[in-house]
Amino acid sequence: MASLLKSQTLNASKAAQKGKRKADDMDVDQPADIQPKRKKNKQRVLMLSSRGVTHRMRHLMNDLETLLPHIKKDAKLDSKNHLNLLPELADLNNCNNTLYFEARRHEDLYLWASKTPNGPSIKMHVQNVHTMDELKMTGNCLKGSRGLVSFDKAFDQTEWGKLTKELFTHIFGVPPTARKAKPFIDHILTFSLLDNKIWFRNFQIVEKDPLKPNGAPETSLVEIGPRFVLTPIRIFEGAFSGATVYSNPEFISPAAVRSAIRREQGSKYGQRKQSEQDAERRKELRRLEESELAVSKVFA
Amino acid sequence: MERLLKALGDDGLDEFDRTQILKMGGEDEDEDDEESGEEGGEGEGSDEEVEAGSDSEGEDDVEAPQTSDAEGEGDEDEDVIPLDEADDSVDEDAVPMRKVEIDNTVALARIRETIALDSSMPWTETLAVTYPHTIDVDVDDDLNREVAFYKQALHCANEARSLAAQHKLPFTRPADYFAEMVKSDSHMERIRIRLLNETASIKESEDKRKQREGKKFGKQVQQEKLKEREKSKKEMEEKIKGLKRKRKDMLDGGDATANDDGFDVQVENAIADKPRDAKRPKVSREGRDKKYGFGNGAGRHSKQNTRESTDDFGGPGGRGGRGGRGGRSGAGKPSAQRPGKSKRMNSRK
Repeated sequence: MASLLKSQTLNASKAAQKGKRKADDMDVDQPADIQPKRKKNKQRVLMLSSRGVTHRMRHLMNDLETLLPHIKKDAKLDSKNHLNLLPELADLNNCNNTLYFEARRHEDLYLWASKTPNGPSIKMHVQNVHTMDELKMTGNCLKGSRGLVSFDKAFDQTEWGKLTKELFTHIFGVPPTARKAKPFIDHILTFSLLDNKIWFRNFQIVEKDPLKPNGAPETSLVEIGPRFVLTPIRIFEGAFSGATVYSNPEFISPAAVRSAIRREQGSKYGQRKQSEQDAERRKELRRLEESELAVSKVFA
Repeated sequence: MERLLKALGDDGLDEFDRTQILKMGGEDEDEDDEESGEEGGEGEGSDEEVEAGSDSEGEDDVEAPQTSDAEGEGDEDEDVIPLDEADDSVDEDAVPMRKVEIDNTVALARIRETIALDSSMPWTETLAVTYPHTIDVDVDDDLNREVAFYKQALHCANEARSLAAQHKLPFTRPADYFAEMVKSDSHMERIRIRLLNETASIKESEDKRKQREGKKFGKQVQQEKLKEREKSKKEMEEKIKGLKRKRKDMLDGGDATANDDGFDVQVENAIADKPRDAKRPKVSREGRDKKYGFGNGAGRHSKQNTRESTDDFGGPGGRGGRGGRGGRSGAGKPSAQRPGKSKRMNSRK
């Protein structure tokens, strides 16, 4: 009995150990390490576009791909209606973030940024795209260097801003474990919140060894590009699906803007005709009866 | 109603419009009859004038059904059309729909906590820096807006440098670290050329402006020119005198007749404005023929364009490598080495 009990307890402990060992394999903690291993920032971003992208959008995607070494570019997504395929694609490619560029009508670009297993997703409208190829962007940086990510204070003042800041830190901040990452820091990505839109700039950090070697290196910045403006439209609870947790009241879809402009142009004719009619009506109202001394009455 | 019909003029109304007007006619005729008439007049393919008029009166239409609603409820309930069912009578874009605004801060905070990175991670994992000021600039003021962004980036870069020093992360790229850059070298070359061209054109335009302003002072210029001429004359005289003196010395010292050519090259050189320098030797007729001619000196086919001659820069004396590089360096530095034609002409005068 006692031996049975003993063996039972032994087996139980062994089993527990086995179970523990299995858990250990998953877990980062290993008995050998004295201090607990710190969690590493592991981010991989899947970047795709829909069909119907223009050359400017394509160049923007290429620029982002060269700037951020933890991005994996994938083929175009066929349909715009089956966004539920995206989390699966991300899983296939072992990515935990997604940047999806959706082009509508060959002129509007929307950017979806999301964390793929269950995370939130943000849909934004992209405007004012200037790519790196423009000759006014004179800066240059190491391909694959980890860039600084800088945020405005305004991101911390609203809840949706904080969420956006967190998401962008994951997506645009290169983790140190990225395969193609290079050692030095020579560029900075800035996100500024202005007029309820997110302005993106990318600068090269130049330690200006001045022409006269004073010995005082002063930092200066040169723009590398690309640059664009994002207008957040909605934030969804799930990845490309789910309930809306935030919607931007000031967003007007570009199609509505265009139709409003055209309607305004069309209303000119209508306004003119309307005012002509009003004038006639007023004339009628003011028309007096023929007075006693009118010619037709006197010389009847 | 009669006034309205008269106002519409000779065009009159279709059947459709008439029925619409009759439908509306039960409502307040005194106040809204014109407006409702306009509404009634709207329909597919109806009077353009009326339709266009009602389009512009879309905003008024919002008022009209509302007021008619309020009053109609007192009179005839059946004829009152609720706001959302007023199909043809209200212009589509005038429907005062309120956009649904959602801002679920609780859910946002919860989600953020779910995805947030471990706060024990050192700064080096994310390299995220926060700028402690908000940007309050007018959006349309381009210069100040970009300056604000620049300031944000500069502040954050300096902060990051100190943070990197703390975490022992290499920050500055040493000058001898060569690796692939985001923009290729040829692209950077194009950028450099463009910058050079810009500065050169700015300088040119400034020079031209100065010249134009200089021309205003014509008298001054004339006087200066006269002075210049006098000066050059004096110089020539001095040169000749100097030569004569030298000659006299030599005559005193040595044999008179041996070196006495009437027109010596030295005299010519001294008198001339620009003495021919050693770099430009006198090229004979034969030399010029060989270089520029077509005939026996160079051959009949020496200046033909063929497939082989396109890439072949080898003129007399191996100009291939030099020509290519010289051409490119010439393009790179447009006016640094050899002044342009007009400048050369002017300096020769």
